[in-house]
Amino acid sequence: MMQVYDLYATGFGGMGLHFRLDGFRLVYACLAVLMWTACGIFSREYMAHYEKRKRYYIFFWATFIATAGVFLSADLYTFFLFFEIMSFTSYVWVAFDERKESLRAAQTYLAVAVIGGMTLLMGLFILNNLCGTLEMDEAAERARQILSGGGDTAGERKLLYVSGVMMLVGFGAKAGVFPLHIWLPKAHPVAPAPASALLSGILTKTGIFGVIFLTCHMFSGNGAWGLLICVLGAVTMLAGAFLALFSVDLKRTLACSSVSQIGFIMTGLGVSSLLSWAGEENSLAVRGVFLHMVNHSLLKLVLFLCAGAVFMNLHELNLNEIRGFGRRKPALFFSFLMGALGISGVPFWNGYVSKTLLHEAIVEYRELTVHHTLDVGLSGAPVFPEAAKVLLSPAVWTVTEWIFLLAGGMTAAYMLKLTVALFVERHPVRQPEFDSMGTSYMSLPGSLAISLPAALLFFLGLTPSVTMDFIADLGQSFLGGKTAESVAYWSWKNMQGSLISLGIGIVLYLGPVRMWLRKRVGDTWYYVDRWPAWLDLENLIYRPVLTVLLPGIFGTVFTWTDERLFPALARTFMAVSAVFCRAMDQMADGLILLARKTTHRQVKEHRSQSEGNWLAVIVGTAEDILLGASDCLTGRRRRLGCRPSSVGRMCERERDAKHVINMVEESFSFGLMLFCIGLCTTLVYLLYAFFV
Amino acid sequence: MKGFLLTVPVLLPLMGGGILLLAKLAGHRRIGGKCLERVTLGVVSFNSLLVLLLLCSDMWGRRVVLFRLYSNLSVMFKLDLMGGFFAGLIAVLWPLATLFSLAYMREEKRKGTFFAYYVMTYGVTLGIALAGNLVTLYIFYEMLTLVTFPLVLFPLSREAVLASRTYLYYSIGGAAFAFIGIIFVLVFSSTGTSEFIAGGILSTQAMTQQRDMLLLVYVLAFFGFGVKAALLPCYVWLPRATVAPTPVTALLHAVAVVKSGAFAVMRFTYFSFGASFLRGSWAQYTVMAAALLTILFGSTMAVKEIHWKRRLAYSTVSNLSYILFGAAIMTPFGLAAALCHMAAHAFMKICSFFCAGAVMHQTGKNYVYELDGLGKRMPATFGCLTVASLSLMGIPLFAGFVSKWNLCGAALSYGSSIVEEGKWGAFLPVLGVAVILYSALMTAVYMLSVLVRAYFPRVSEGSLKTAETEENDVCANCDPGWEMLVPLFIFAGVILFMGLYPGPFLELFGRIGGAAA
Repeated sequence: MMQVYDLYATGFGGMGLHFRLDGFRLVYACLAVLMWTACGIFSREYMAHYEKRKRYYIFFWATFIATAGVFLSADLYTFFLFFEIMSFTSYVWVAFDERKESLRAAQTYLAVAVIGGMTLLMGLFILNNLCGTLEMDEAAERARQILSGGGDTAGERKLLYVSGVMMLVGFGAKAGVFPLHIWLPKAHPVAPAPASALLSGILTKTGIFGVIFLTCHMFSGNGAWGLLICVLGAVTMLAGAFLALFSVDLKRTLACSSVSQIGFIMTGLGVSSLLSWAGEENSLAVRGVFLHMVNHSLLKLVLFLCAGAVFMNLHELNLNEIRGFGRRKPALFFSFLMGALGISGVPFWNGYVSKTLLHEAIVEYRELTVHHTLDVGLSGAPVFPEAAKVLLSPAVWTVTEWIFLLAGGMTAAYMLKLTVALFVERHPVRQPEFDSMGTSYMSLPGSLAISLPAALLFFLGLTPSVTMDFIADLGQSFLGGKTAESVAYWSWKNMQGSLISLGIGIVLYLGPVRMWLRKRVGDTWYYVDRWPAWLDLENLIYRPVLTVLLPGIFGTVFTWTDERLFPALARTFMAVSAVFCRAMDQMADGLILLARKTTHRQVKEHRSQSEGNWLAVIVGTAEDILLGASDCLTGRRRRLGCRPSSVGRMCERERDAKHVINMVEESFSFGLMLFCIGLCTTLVYLLYAFFV
Repeated sequence: MKGFLLTVPVLLPLMGGGILLLAKLAGHRRIGGKCLERVTLGVVSFNSLLVLLLLCSDMWGRRVVLFRLYSNLSVMFKLDLMGGFFAGLIAVLWPLATLFSLAYMREEKRKGTFFAYYVMTYGVTLGIALAGNLVTLYIFYEMLTLVTFPLVLFPLSREAVLASRTYLYYSIGGAAFAFIGIIFVLVFSSTGTSEFIAGGILSTQAMTQQRDMLLLVYVLAFFGFGVKAALLPCYVWLPRATVAPTPVTALLHAVAVVKSGAFAVMRFTYFSFGASFLRGSWAQYTVMAAALLTILFGSTMAVKEIHWKRRLAYSTVSNLSYILFGAAIMTPFGLAAALCHMAAHAFMKICSFFCAGAVMHQTGKNYVYELDGLGKRMPATFGCLTVASLSLMGIPLFAGFVSKWNLCGAALSYGSSIVEEGKWGAFLPVLGVAVILYSALMTAVYMLSVLVRAYFPRVSEGSLKTAETEENDVCANCDPGWEMLVPLFIFAGVILFMGLYPGPFLELFGRIGGAAA
């Protein structure tokens, strides 16, 4: 047990920051320093031929600060703050070389990070509202009160679960837990190798850090939550291993392997939570989880840097192109072998220790279910009834154990595949060229940066009861472990699990991997990617949903609103108001118009044209003559002069008259026609009535 | 008579602008050159200094009646915390924006007219900030439409004419609805005037007897004032008005005009109707739902838009509704959060607009897809844009995060308080948090896509060609001069400062909120 140090920065960022240094955080701070140092040294060589090195280093160290901030945080606000910064600064790593695939992978990474971050934030809002604080200790305390029935309503408990699941989504996205693991296999192959090592080795662990807080602090001893974590872990473990086994790309395999190892850690966490729910001692599980986190960080550091050494020489990652590269390169071979043996869980390497502990924990819980000692614990615990059945069924846990062993076997199989490809097989064309690189492929600092951590793996694995137990003692209190148990790591019983896994691994390698995942062309065998191309969660579900469905729905609705609805509303409004205004306008105008048409009508000008209107011409001329004569007689002509001819007026009258007659005729004939139709209808009806 | 000092910051720019216009009419020749710039900058900075001095003096709470229109209708100024905050915000932004626009408009003809109205707008906006009663607020609110109208019209293109006409119709139409509210407040006021008093001035009798009528009037007035804040049915003018020169879009349509709308809504809600009267009523739920819908709408449309300035304008539409949503929570914490976002958004948006302006000025590029690779050629500009974008998204360490955090906190605490009272609208605040997070995601998409393009250009066949053109106009595409950069740096600095150390700001907003509700 070590002293706990607290550091407060009040007022910073509004809520103030709170850092803490305890055993767990100390281990991870040291790991961060170690990993960044190794990667920093290696980067000098790896990055030597790239432009924009300055940008890389700025974001390299910015991410270091952010990651350290995450691991040292003691309240969720501080955690979130650094978590987000870390997401954004590490984005630049993935997009670093600005190729099309990199940008697409970076897009995926950013999308997962941003969506995860937003969901996490929402969870934090709800938690803050429920607990009134984001201090990890106090919030967890309050959450436990609510869960144990101390809350006011059942609604609060439900809200707490909602908040927990939302935070889990945020943390899980970063950790690479199953449905959100998509960014790992995409981002790792395109990112620079030191960045991959850090992304996979330590950035995913920040997500696990959050999940540990949820599982061991907020929902500690909650059966339903433990089951959820367990199921997610098992699925992730298996899915990652499958992806890795199928992959023919060095870094992609390692990335998928990360997913799988995160699954191991999650399963262990779930089981530790279940054990504490059952009222049992869970320190085995807790120590296993913590040690596997540490081991995986170191393993991935070594393995990804080895991949980096390959890539910086060949600029290829496809197994068919790089095979045989490792021949006659002892430093590379040593480092990679240590990593491969460690991650496969071979006894005397570090992975064996943590996997054994995890395995023991699962077995321990299965034993509990077999012996039905759990019934006592169930009565008081607030668990969903459906979950209780699963929790108590021994078959489920036997299956879990076998999934665990199978995933371990697959780990061994894909590591074997990589090792054989890199160090045993020969490249059909370039082998002499590869062999000539025997000394020039890596400088001394670079090879030290890889092989020293690699030696550490073996050292840890050889002295578990000294070194690994010491690390576990430091870290376990944060995960809720209490006692320091010494485990007989080298007993036959403990070795059994590991050996079963390795057996499965060798069978898998000799069977499907060599037979089915390779293809013979001419004299040489080629690794082929048998994974169906359409079976890609990202392209199958996430991208369509995010880029087509969501924008499609919202976009259509809003475009329609913008382009149709609002203009239509505006037009309707304008039209209605226009009619109204015109009506008001015509109130005044109407009177004038009426007067103009009736009393104040203007005099018509009569045109004097007579073509075709013979009757009017005759009548008009006659009238002219008559009037002229009478004027002559009465002397009016002398006083007023000649009258205008009446012919035009008459013509107009005649036209009017003709028009009226026309109309009458037309309407009359139309009326007649209708009358006829009516008569005919009546006739038909009469005939019908008569005959029927 | 010391109180009359309050009227000086309002009248001085109005007179200054008037003189510039008269000089222009009189055909003064020198007004086009350096002299114009000096006069403009001098008037604006002197005025800002005056405002800041006023804020530091013992003028708080003092009121002065400039003149009376008719019995209880008076033009009155008052310096209280809320008005003082808004005036201070404007006083900080305006000189910097003027500096930027002087450089931006240097090549334009007719800039005499432009700056005349630009300066006048300053006075009018201060008039809104310092208005002591609803009538004064309304008068300056209408004046704001009239003095900014020529600025939108300034390019005199067909688009500009159409845009300015739309702007005029919407603003005047909205003010008409607001007018209804003013009449009702005057009639049912317990003091007989429309003076702003924290907690509202409606008489208790009216509040019980005319409850539903008053709530209806409140909703009408909210939507009326909301027109300037680009609330949903009446947002159209804002994206269209981006045809105006960038300093105008930045200052007027991201800060002065839209913030005046939001400010008027807050005044109206907290100082005339009273938050306690409205809290938990259907009117509150209506306006809250409208604000949420606008947030959804604005952020989605921004993603669809490819014209950079219009995209920012849609972003303004959604962000303004954050403020309205905060105001519609109607608790002290809600008002504080709204004010916080008002301040933060002012800096973020003016910074982003000015970055867009700097790019347009240097390269003439208007569309998002044209920005490939500009990040390296204009590092300072895009550095500031990065700060503003991250802040708009609500990334921690930036001002936007602080304000969104408070907004969501206020919404959730209000939500749980009305759950306890058993009101039906409790889901709205919680929904609001979800909407804000959705919008944050959309903000990430529409702001980051600009940055990603600028920093990580798509390498294509045309890359050789762009490299060639780069050779040619290497000087034309670099960062702008100090007059444009200094404001950008200051804005980015303020955003960072507000994000890193928001304590004093939050305390001020908390005090305003506590006093008002």
